Amino acid sequence: MSSVIEQIEQQIANLQTKTVQSNIGKIVTIADGVAKIEGLSEAMYNEMIEFPGGTIGIALNLEEDAVGVVILGESTHLKAGDEAKCTGKLLSVPVGKGLLGRVVNALGAPVDGKGPVESSESYPVEKIAPGIIERKSVDQPLATGIMAIDSMIPIGRGQRELIIGDRGTGKTTIAIDTIINQAKINEVGLASGDESFRPVYSIYVAVGQKNSNIARTLGVLEEAGALKYTIIVTAGASDAAADQYLAPYSGVAMAEWFMSNGMDALIVYDDLSKHAAAYRQMSLVLKRPSGREAYPGDVFYLHSRLLERSARVNEDNGNGSITALPIIETLAGDLSAYIPTNVISITDGQIFLETDLFNQGIRPAVSVGLSVSRVGSAAQIKATKQVAGKIKLELAQFRELAAFAQFGSDLDAKTKAQLDRGSRIVELFKQPAFNPLPIEEQVAVLWGIQNNYYDDIDVSRIVPAAASIREFFTTRKEVLLVSIREKAKIDDELGAELKKAYDEWKPSFA
Amino acid sequence: MTRDKQIVDYAKGLMKLASENGTFSEERASAILQVLEKNPPRNYAGVLKEFLKLVKREVANNTAVVEYAGELSPSAIDGIKSQFTNRYGRDISVTASRNDALIAGLRVQVGCDVYDSSVAGALKELEATLS
Repeated sequence: MSSVIEQIEQQIANLQTKTVQSNIGKIVTIADGVAKIEGLSEAMYNEMIEFPGGTIGIALNLEEDAVGVVILGESTHLKAGDEAKCTGKLLSVPVGKGLLGRVVNALGAPVDGKGPVESSESYPVEKIAPGIIERKSVDQPLATGIMAIDSMIPIGRGQRELIIGDRGTGKTTIAIDTIINQAKINEVGLASGDESFRPVYSIYVAVGQKNSNIARTLGVLEEAGALKYTIIVTAGASDAAADQYLAPYSGVAMAEWFMSNGMDALIVYDDLSKHAAAYRQMSLVLKRPSGREAYPGDVFYLHSRLLERSARVNEDNGNGSITALPIIETLAGDLSAYIPTNVISITDGQIFLETDLFNQGIRPAVSVGLSVSRVGSAAQIKATKQVAGKIKLELAQFRELAAFAQFGSDLDAKTKAQLDRGSRIVELFKQPAFNPLPIEEQVAVLWGIQNNYYDDIDVSRIVPAAASIREFFTTRKEVLLVSIREKAKIDDELGAELKKAYDEWKPSFA
Repeated sequence: MTRDKQIVDYAKGLMKLASENGTFSEERASAILQVLEKNPPRNYAGVLKEFLKLVKREVANNTAVVEYAGELSPSAIDGIKSQFTNRYGRDISVTASRNDALIAGLRVQVGCDVYDSSVAGALKELEATLS
């Protein structure tokens, strides 16, 4: 109590008879979380507007004699005639490592009941993306821990890889697996004391999701020990459309802090379909003209300016990066809808998940034909390139030929061989959720398929065989895994060691 | 063009007519109202409402509404008038009213700009920093 009194005394002593200038306006109408305000002649686009009771809004419509302000959070206590005030500040959110392990709302305020966020800096939510000169090519891998993706659709630090598919095809699972895998890599890398190791910090932005889903994701991350490297920005289904519109920008502002401080960040936008819908709702309430599918004309810009902020910057600019994994939900696999085509054209590749594959038990349900990574093998370590170079082609051929599988007896030997090999690759790529694999284990397993060690194993036993070989390596050949990780390529010596290991394992499994 | 837009444009036209050398003239405004009464335009009520809104805004932009606690000398009012005339680059008139809720000091509003150097304002700011 005495310290509070002292603090107040000090502040009163510091009070100066200065003139405070402010720019005010009056609410004319307020409905659906949008206030039309007369006055505020000095308002800037995206400026924070202060309302009675400490409520904050953002100025989005600057008209000749009025300002359209979208209110963030609770607005039921506001009424026509209330005074609104310009703050002179563009909307910004707290940034920094103090946010790691925390769940915050679209304004960066904590919502996890763990007390205030430790942050001394704030970044504007809207910022121009890094220019061409500041950037460099993507050349460092960002492993997802999912064998099908790391081998066939590699993701690099600074890339934007869209995860797209129908409802319930495992889109979020892929993103969460990636976050967990990065946390595991961070643990190993930081424990090794290697000074050149660059940890990846993750930001998971939940837009328009059920709170129960967000809580489940939080639980999974916590259980996997990944939360301490992760910031969760949440704007749930029950939050206002303005919060849902803002959350991805807040998330990327937090990610930008890591990038501008020479670190690597991974940001997941889950999902941008709901983000676009929230923006549409907001725009319609602001009386902006509607276009295709009732979205406003700038819905492409909405996503392009967000995703362009993901980049890999060069050494002169700190060498940091932001990798983005936006998620889009399709309806009945329709990739040609408005929002999916927009985001596909903005990103550097997409992982397409098919409902049919998912229902067949092929999980992750990655469609090999429609999934691409436009960064390609630049984002793979040499060891992965060596063992997985032909796999995507073989799997694509298998999918083409799969239709003939039902005529098994009439097939020529070559086609049958392709089908056999393809079905084994499919089995090999089956992976349970929230169980990412280290890249060295992936290499060890794929080396086996490349060198035909699974050919005489029955297709139905491929999954247990893969589990067995992984267990064999992790328990008895850990030195070999460490050397794959450190060398990052398979030289003759390592190849011989792998052959010896497989020859040792094969009889034990058979 | 929507009806609302037509009304607004018409009212803006009237506002231009009410200005003399770029400054609002009460005399011209009352003459305009007389002419409108004789020859009412379409949407007369709407036009009048919009014109009134524009006039109010123009008056507010050219008037410094001074609230003070305690006493305010005529010379201080003159000082305020000349200060704000210089600041805005147009002739600003002053209307002063006593408001003891300010405790001490002044609060001046010109249009939507507010200049607060009152004790009540300082206390409000202090309250905001403490909450």
